[in-house]
Amino acid sequence: MSLLQSIKNYVRSRSIHVSYVDVGSCNGCDIEVLACLSPRYDIEQYGIYVHNNPREADILLVIGAYTPGWEEKLATLWEKIPEPKAAIAIGNCPISGCLFNRPHTYIDPPVAKHIPIAAEVPGCPPRPTEILAAVLAVAPIVFRDFEVKR
Amino acid sequence: MPFSLVYYLSHFARIEWVKNFFAAKTAPLETPPYFRGFPELTGELCQHSLFCMMACPAPGAIDVVHSGKKWEPRIHKGHCIRCGLCVEACPHGVLRSGRILDTIHREHTTLSFSFRIDIDPDKCMGCGNCAVACPVNKVIDAQMSHGGKASTDQLLLRVNAGKSEVLHMEKCTGCKTCENHCPNEAIRVSRLLEAVQNPEAP
Ligand code: SF4
Ligand code: SF4
Ligand code: SF4
Ligand code: SF4
Repeated sequence: MSLLQSIKNYVRSRSIHVSYVDVGSCNGCDIEVLACLSPRYDIEQYGIYVHNNPREADILLVIGAYTPGWEEKLATLWEKIPEPKAAIAIGNCPISGCLFNRPHTYIDPPVAKHIPIAAEVPGCPPRPTEILAAVLAVAPIVFRDFEVKR
Repeated sequence: MPFSLVYYLSHFARIEWVKNFFAAKTAPLETPPYFRGFPELTGELCQHSLFCMMACPAPGAIDVVHSGKKWEPRIHKGHCIRCGLCVEACPHGVLRSGRILDTIHREHTTLSFSFRIDIDPDKCMGCGNCAVACPVNKVIDAQMSHGGKASTDQLLLRVNAGKSEVLHMEKCTGCKTCENHCPNEAIRVSRLLEAVQNPEAP
């Protein structure tokens, strides 16, 4: 492995930019994502930074059960993220629609139908530690030796 | 002035500071044992009472399946919301999650429930999916053919004269399987759950 690649690996392991998108949720999972920033969980000590700009992001956290308003928009947003990238489904909603998945609702889960999902964190809502563990587990798989694997 | 600058910079030259700067500072947080996780099996024998499925508010979160020799509840992650109602509802303590079982034993809490099945005769087309799917019917008459025609009047539900009818409402466990299998949304099960606490009980 070239020296440049090892530098890239090291830098990427310490600098993961996370963006989140809410495609129609009850807000519970959004609050848990924001709780990751609090001193108790302190996601930034692992080199993970939360943004609201997909163009700067490496990892997209998808929250919510995919309401019709997100047709087209979510895929466009996903394309805006530069490679290497990964999407993580946070909570039950993007996996199954959770409690909203009843007859005559307009939601369209799972989100994996619309964009590729690398990992799922079940729970309603999942705990900040679980979100943190998922980001830390996915990041090395996606970012390590990205250029070599491609 | 120069002294204070050197003093200031020497603070950052300390090895602990450098280590702290590059490594994560808080130890990984453990999940405390009293947090409610996804319900787990305690090892008690499942009696197929289906109270868990009845109490569960999340669609598709829990199924009671027959695994080889015995019945066993299965929790589906991604559907389960970790509310713990199945743990509270099970009369045999088959499931556990956090401190719920301890609280039940200490406070003598139970859930009292009642059900009501409504069949809309205008929508029902007598296909019998409900009667065939009903797990209570399955225990009473395992051979029930599709169409829901009854061999015995002990059944909970049966199809009679092209319409589904309820024979023994009191046998219903409120699992809503019939509702999920009805193609016409003709059958509706309503569940009324009430938490009861009796700390004085033995
Ligand atoms: S998984 Fe639960 S907490 Fe999260 S958005 Fe869906 S309903 Fe809300
Ligand atoms: S904890 Fe709640 S949502 Fe999960 S299976 Fe039990 S009753 Fe259903
Ligand atoms: S809810 Fe429906 S399927 Fe379940 S026991 Fe009652 S009648 Fe049978
Ligand atoms: S209630 Fe629904 S499932 Fe049952 S016989 Fe009528 S149409 Fe079929």
